[in-house]
Amino acid sequence: MSNSTADTRVGGGGLRPLQILQRAISSGYLVFALTILYVLAVWPFVPEILSRTNLVAILLQVIPLFIAAMGLMLVLMVAQIDLSATSIMALSCVVGASIITAQGGYMAGSPMATIVAIVVILAIGIAFGLLNGFCTAYMEMPSFLVTLTTMMFFSGAAIWYTALHTASGSSIGSLPGSFVQLGYGGIFGIPYAGIAAVLIGLGTHFLLTGTVFGRWIVAVGFNPRAALVSGIPVRRVIVWTFVISGICSAIAGIIYTARLEAGMPILGQRILLDIIGATVIGGVSLFGGTGRVLGVFFGVLFLSVVDNGLQLMGLSLSSVFAIKGSVILFAALLDVLRHKMVARS
Amino acid sequence: MNNHRLLLAILNAAPLILFGLIVVTLSLLSDSFLSVANFRNIVNQAAPVAVMAIGMTFVLLVKGVDLSIGSVMYLVAVLMGLYLSGLPLVVVIAAVLLIGLVFGAVNATFITRFDIAPFIVTLATLFIIRGLALFLSGTRMVFQSDTIQTMGRSALFGVPYAIWILAIIAAIGWVVLSQTPYGRQIYAVGADPHAAEKAGIPVRRIVFSVFCICGVCAAIGAFISVSQIGAASATFGYQKEFPVIAAAVLGGTSLFGGRGGVFGSIFGAVLVQTTENGLVMLNADPYLYPLVAALIIFLAAWVDGRRTAITERLERRKIRVE
Repeated sequence: MSNSTADTRVGGGGLRPLQILQRAISSGYLVFALTILYVLAVWPFVPEILSRTNLVAILLQVIPLFIAAMGLMLVLMVAQIDLSATSIMALSCVVGASIITAQGGYMAGSPMATIVAIVVILAIGIAFGLLNGFCTAYMEMPSFLVTLTTMMFFSGAAIWYTALHTASGSSIGSLPGSFVQLGYGGIFGIPYAGIAAVLIGLGTHFLLTGTVFGRWIVAVGFNPRAALVSGIPVRRVIVWTFVISGICSAIAGIIYTARLEAGMPILGQRILLDIIGATVIGGVSLFGGTGRVLGVFFGVLFLSVVDNGLQLMGLSLSSVFAIKGSVILFAALLDVLRHKMVARS
Repeated sequence: MNNHRLLLAILNAAPLILFGLIVVTLSLLSDSFLSVANFRNIVNQAAPVAVMAIGMTFVLLVKGVDLSIGSVMYLVAVLMGLYLSGLPLVVVIAAVLLIGLVFGAVNATFITRFDIAPFIVTLATLFIIRGLALFLSGTRMVFQSDTIQTMGRSALFGVPYAIWILAIIAAIGWVVLSQTPYGRQIYAVGADPHAAEKAGIPVRRIVFSVFCICGVCAAIGAFISVSQIGAASATFGYQKEFPVIAAAVLGGTSLFGGRGGVFGSIFGAVLVQTTENGLVMLNADPYLYPLVAALIIFLAAWVDGRRTAITERLERRKIRVE
């Protein structure tokens, strides 16, 4: 439903006197505070949540999620959505793995294999981003439907491709060490993946705050028609955000694949909700126009910590599903509240 | 201008052309395809998707979407198998309708009271409802009572009962949409919510009601489907929202609201089912099914996008001339 049909009664009534609550909701640090509260609440039951190994585990979990979320953030900022991010991960990495696997890979044993695989994975990410963007911007199809179908198509294709290349059909393993070390390896104790995440985070922050393209993204998100009238190449901006999202998904996919030491066609099915949830919790509006790198980082951290806590408490997959779904709903609710407060002030 | 009209006519006929092509191809490739028995079989199998597509049509008409219907399907099947199996049929049916109504109302509440985008709400409830159902079933296979299974096999005047239910729902849907003020209001809300609001139409109540209708239709679809299969595995209804949305859109219902109807959605469901039936007959690689299904939905969405763009252009032209 278009938000403009909203009347002031909804969400306003009880809240107006509570200025503090309002300020808290619009604060970028609310999510971070919630994370700490959650940890303190869970700590008495599972004290190991604050152990050194567990904190490292959380951080390692945050990295690829954060990279993927950066891409989605840009797409959401132009008021579109990319549901295909995780299937881009799956398909690009299965194809990449089929190049380098020792079990009959196309370039098995070649010293260039890993580099070629990475280039291919990134190229697939770019190509699928282009496809999503083209259909959304130039074909004028709703992005959620475009990316729903591409999600269905890519994940189906990933499973099919794996079945073609392996006997078991479940994953493509036996990846060379030079690729696998991208998962956990690093220099001076800092994992490569962490360096990549920091660079992507800083790059995105600079893109949004320091470049014309960043201003365009914000303008298109707030009001595409006004942006078009002002001479902004709206369609091209939308396509670019999808391409960046594709690249980010591919990079996150590389990290996951290297850690699993296998190309899995079902990779990322579980984390689609995490990515969307983390960005929305992190203050990226579904209505477009707003988004901050630090906010998304807090969102990713929040979701990872919640997930970690639930696992430590030994909850089943079904309850994790239900809880994560609720978290998304809660985040969307916060987004609407924020949106209304901005609209009123 | 005439070019646009011609293009529009072609786009409108595109699903029919596709259907014709598929039927001709399949009847050339397989002797058993073109028969009354096989067609009845196709419609029988398409009935759950068709019923849900009718519900989805209501939602799409107001520019909404409901992604949670696959999970509602699974929850209904689980509750039927685990808790409703000993009860009389009338009670079971009443309970099924109620479950659908409740979850439709939950979606509707978040959408109309809190103004959250329908696809986000229903994406979240998709996971919440499936999580709930998986929790209840313990991811084990849930079997249905003999009464339900007998019903799935029964027929009246040589027509399977699923087709009768479909016919009844279609008749009700058609009457509601095209013969009542409520139906006109749904179209009005979809075409332009602001104008509808100004005209005194209770927009929120209309939106609320269509999501309830969609929930009820999802529950009926689950009932038909589970009675035909006899049991529900943990993946029952998984991603069922895709063929349902595809059926509605292929049948001419627009994703942008305000345009569409009941019979088109039934046609769309039959088209989707015919394709699947054909793939089975041709012994196609099962891994290819989702790829073909995705391509068809994509095509439907593309046609809809073009059609909407052209219609808008035509209407704009008209206003300027007058």
